[in-house]
Amino acid sequence: MTISQKTAWAQLAIFGVLVIGWVILFSINGTVFYWQDETMKMTFYWLCAAAFGALVIMNVVAGILKSSLKAITDERDKGIFRRASLWATGVSYSVVAALLLALAITYMEKGSESIPVYFPLFIVIVGGVTLILTQAITALLLYGRKVNHAES
Amino acid sequence: MPRARINNRIRRLRFDHDEMTQEELASRVGCTRQTIIALEQGKYVPSIELAFKIARAFGVKLEDVFQYEE
Repeated sequence: MTISQKTAWAQLAIFGVLVIGWVILFSINGTVFYWQDETMKMTFYWLCAAAFGALVIMNVVAGILKSSLKAITDERDKGIFRRASLWATGVSYSVVAALLLALAITYMEKGSESIPVYFPLFIVIVGGVTLILTQAITALLLYGRKVNHAES
Repeated sequence: MPRARINNRIRRLRFDHDEMTQEELASRVGCTRQTIIALEQGKYVPSIELAFKIARAFGVKLEDVFQYEE
């Protein structure tokens, strides 16, 4: 397994744990929005901070390893991650756009002209997590499939 | 329109070159062993640069390593 594959697995593990944490948090919270309870709000932000912090540390370690060792990544790894990033960008943009539309429609139907300030932040975080998870999953799938350098 | 296939003889050529290991070939051409494995399994079509490096590592012409089939 190359270091790029290990990076993708680590991304999947870190953000998979984050999503599981969210599911637990939201199932405890029920229908009440997480920011309406101080403990829930702080737990949510700490979970996100831990996941993004782990991602930064992992990328720093991977960067040091890549620069110190010879031929640790090559054109195939780069091509796979380029394609995975394209997919991830498309999927995360679509998720963010869909959430923004759903939010606008929901509040317009209620006759409200304002939305809680926490919503845009939540949507940005969801977009970021979607980007990282999609990139990791797509990269891992591409490692198992036939890849043509000219197409990546 | 049928898709073209690019086959290679890397495994055979390694065998003919004193059973050169995948690791050794990877180190000579500057790629990972996993890429050599993917090439031998037909799961990766390399760049023209890597293709030339592989041919040069075996001391043969490009066409002796890679074959284009329509």
